[in-house]
Amino acid sequence: MTSPIGGISFPSAVTGLAGVTGTAAPSDAVDRTAAAGDNGFASVLVSSLEELQAKQATSDGLAVQAATGDLRDVHDYMIAANETKLATDMVVTIKNKAVEAFNEILRMPV
Amino acid sequence: MSTFDSLGISGSGLLVHRKWLDAVSDNIANINNVTSTDQDAFQERLIVAQAVDYGSGEGGVRVARAEYGSAEGRMVHEPDHPLADANGYVRYPDIDLGDQMTQLIMAQRGYQANLAVVERATTAYQAALQLGKG
Repeated sequence: MTSPIGGISFPSAVTGLAGVTGTAAPSDAVDRTAAAGDNGFASVLVSSLEELQAKQATSDGLAVQAATGDLRDVHDYMIAANETKLATDMVVTIKNKAVEAFNEILRMPV
Repeated sequence: MSTFDSLGISGSGLLVHRKWLDAVSDNIANINNVTSTDQDAFQERLIVAQAVDYGSGEGGVRVARAEYGSAEGRMVHEPDHPLADANGYVRYPDIDLGDQMTQLIMAQRGYQANLAVVERATTAYQAALQLGKG
C-alpha cells in the first residue's frame, strides 16, 4: 500500500503500531468511495439523517402521548428522547468534521 | 442493529420490572379480598420473564406470560361474616404480604438498576462523541 506519508519513517520504538492492522481499512474504503461517487460520504450522511429523522418521529409521537395522557411507560419517552439527542449529536458531529475536512482541503495552497 | 442498542435493551428490562411492580401492586391491593367458599379466591399474579432471544444477537428481556397462584386460597373460620358458608368458613387469597414486600423491593431495585444502565450508557456515548468535537 502506498501511503502519502510513506517517506516519514516511524521511530523503531513504535513498532507496536504494526499490530494495528485495522487502520489500513479506512483509507481503502475512502479510495473505493471516491471512485464509486454515488456511494460516497453523501449517502452515508443521508442514511444517518434518515435514521435520525425516524428516531425524532418516534420521540415526537411519544411526547404527544405524554401530553395527552396516553403514555403507558414513562421510561419509553425518556429513553427515546435520550436516544434522539445522542443521534442528533452524532450526526451533527459527523457533519462538522466533514465540513472541517472539506475546508481544510480548500485552504490547500496550489 | 442500531448504534445505541444498550438503551433499547435497558428499556426492555424497565418494561419487565414495571410489569412486575404492577403485578405486586395488584396482589397487595387484593390481599384482603374475601370470597365465599363456593367461589375462587383472588389468585396471586406472577410475571414470567424471558430473554428475547438466545444467541441471535438480539438482546433484551420480555414478559413471556403471567402465571396465577392458587385459586383455593386460605380457608378462614369467620362464622359472623356475611359470606360464610354453613360451616362458618370464608376464602382469603393465598398471598403472603411479607413475600410481596420482598418482591416489591426486588422489582424496584431492578428498575433502578436498568435506569442506571441507561444513564451510564448515555454518558459513555456522549464521551465518545466528545472525541469528534475537539
